[in-house]
Amino acid sequence: MAEETQVVESGRGLGKRKFGRNQGRKKSNKKPKVMQQQRGQKKVKIDPKMKKLYHKRAREYNSDDEDETAAPASVRTRGAPSMKTRGVVSFTKKKHEEEDIEGEELSEDEGAAGGQRTQKRNVTDKKVSFSEDEGEDGDEIQPGITKFTEGCKAFKMAFKSIIKKSVSDDLLGPVLSAQKNLVIEKLAEEEAERKVKGEAKKEKLMIAEKGHVKPASYLDSHEKFLISVATKGVVKLFNAVNKAQVAQKGLDPSKNRDAKELRKRTKEAFFSELGKPAIGTSAVKANASTSNGEDEQPSWAPLRDNYMLTSSRIKDWDKNMPGKNESDNNEKVSEDSSSDED
Amino acid sequence: MRKKQNGFRRPVVIKNKRNSKQPESQPSVDPITGKKIPKSFVFARGKLPVPLKQLQMDLRKLMLPYTALSLKEKKRNSLRDFLNVAGPMGVTHFLILSKTASAPYLRVATTPQGPTLTFKIQEYALAADIARSQLHPRCPKDLFKNSALIVLSGFVSGDLPLRLTTNMFQNIFPTIDVKTVKLASCQRIVLLNYNKDTKLIDFRHYSIRLQPIGVSRRIRKLVQSHQVPDLRNLQDVSDFVTKAGYGSESEADEEAATVTLSSNIGRVNRAATKSAVRLQEIGPRMTLQLVRIEKGLCSGEVLFSESASGKPGDKGKTDDEMDNNDEDSEGGEDDDQDEDGDGEDLEDNENDEELD
Repeated sequence: MAEETQVVESGRGLGKRKFGRNQGRKKSNKKPKVMQQQRGQKKVKIDPKMKKLYHKRAREYNSDDEDETAAPASVRTRGAPSMKTRGVVSFTKKKHEEEDIEGEELSEDEGAAGGQRTQKRNVTDKKVSFSEDEGEDGDEIQPGITKFTEGCKAFKMAFKSIIKKSVSDDLLGPVLSAQKNLVIEKLAEEEAERKVKGEAKKEKLMIAEKGHVKPASYLDSHEKFLISVATKGVVKLFNAVNKAQVAQKGLDPSKNRDAKELRKRTKEAFFSELGKPAIGTSAVKANASTSNGEDEQPSWAPLRDNYMLTSSRIKDWDKNMPGKNESDNNEKVSEDSSSDED
Repeated sequence: MRKKQNGFRRPVVIKNKRNSKQPESQPSVDPITGKKIPKSFVFARGKLPVPLKQLQMDLRKLMLPYTALSLKEKKRNSLRDFLNVAGPMGVTHFLILSKTASAPYLRVATTPQGPTLTFKIQEYALAADIARSQLHPRCPKDLFKNSALIVLSGFVSGDLPLRLTTNMFQNIFPTIDVKTVKLASCQRIVLLNYNKDTKLIDFRHYSIRLQPIGVSRRIRKLVQSHQVPDLRNLQDVSDFVTKAGYGSESEADEEAATVTLSSNIGRVNRAATKSAVRLQEIGPRMTLQLVRIEKGLCSGEVLFSESASGKPGDKGKTDDEMDNNDEDSEGGEDDDQDEDGDGEDLEDNENDEELD
């Protein structure tokens, strides 16, 4: 409905504009010259409206019936100079007319002075608003401006009608509102597709992130416990190291006798330190104690039959005399001692 | 039994800047104690999602310095490729990450012939996550220059699989010699704590920091940083010493966490003074569940399996499959020596699936 009204309005507007134009021209013959001057400067060919004007002028000037036929001929003469005599006559007439008009224009320009010109310039500068004002002033309506005003009015009305239209569907807007269902369908489809894709992606991410846990920023009791266990281990090791290295001080390992003494002492200190923790205690300082048959199949050894025996050495360490270790057949201990000797 | 391999094997690419700069920078034997230094590869089988890749990187850092930090693996690299490289490089352990729909898995294996422990990673947190959770994450420059210590706790002595686990993890890190070790080089510690009730192993990685006891924080900072302190708000210079400010946590320290040092560590910790041991987690953090133990390197007889039901059948099946795979892969190598053995990849994938 709104569209229809719009159409009607626009049609009316057009008619009005035309009417206004004609009227403007009829009212004062001088008026178009203002427009024409612009074109004249650009050396534009005469357009049909101007032609009509010329015809009219010529009619008034000659007051002949001939003129009506002559006018089109004159147009033709421009394109092709070979013509009948009558055509030639009309041509000359035409020329004369042109000169006349130009003379008029010049005189008007000089006479009516720059005021009009400035006004015109203003109009072109300020465009719509200014021209509207002019139109409403209405005392001396200039045709170009009038035209603009009328057109603007039409446009305004059309625009107003569009604006007035209440747009029901916010999602789609006024564009394509006729295809509402189709668009909605498509949007829904896209949405569903996206949802499926997102779900698949999420699932993939879930699988990728499986087991990945972001730690809490505080230490819970379990973590604290673990830290304390680790701290105990470190302390034990450091103390053992300290004991071993303090005992070592003051002896020169390069001297043979001292070296022997050193070896003995360190071994004692080492074993006494490591003998302290029983196996049952939570912390087993592991790598300080072990040098596990690395020459032959390092971690394969524990799976052999004597594996249990070898591991039980930890329990028996404090029982064994350090000096007897060399004679011991136990592979582990002998290695330990040998490594100590190194 | 096995066909002799004379075909060219595409080697695993190792881009280690440190190695390229100074080849043979890492001795295979400790110069002081003369013990063999265990080295490790940390790599993945199959495609890993991003967080697990990060975990792999974290594990590599944890295993520093005796590991290939920038080991580049390709899809076509089979386990055998790694094994071939491992021999000449003196790599003794493999840490293999893999991933299934149910959970990520970590396999720890000794080269060249096993055994292999397969752990299911129940939960894990990356080093970055842990650093993010901390107010002041700590990372000194030389933190990763020395290998970590390891503390195993709570492992029941009687249980054979656990025994093997402890042994395995002890051997992954180089042994330390109590006489000669420099305490300043002990910067990190790896803790494996076995929970009897849940049968889960907590895997933690801490940095060790020593702080002198009985010294106020200001003095400590002054000694540490060697910078002119801010005395604007003080009336007298002596206030700087006497006004302790807030009692730092070190004051409320329990006796258990203190050590007496035999030598100086840094500027602050002098010999024969008491120092407190502080641990700060650096990650990664994992909760592991021992799922199975295999005799060979990711193959062979299953010595232990968490799922009691699938034990015997599983065992036979895996054995057969593994043997087949071995044969096949060798055949494949002979067939396409210069091309990448696509068949091998498939087999590897099969292996992975089976293991998981």
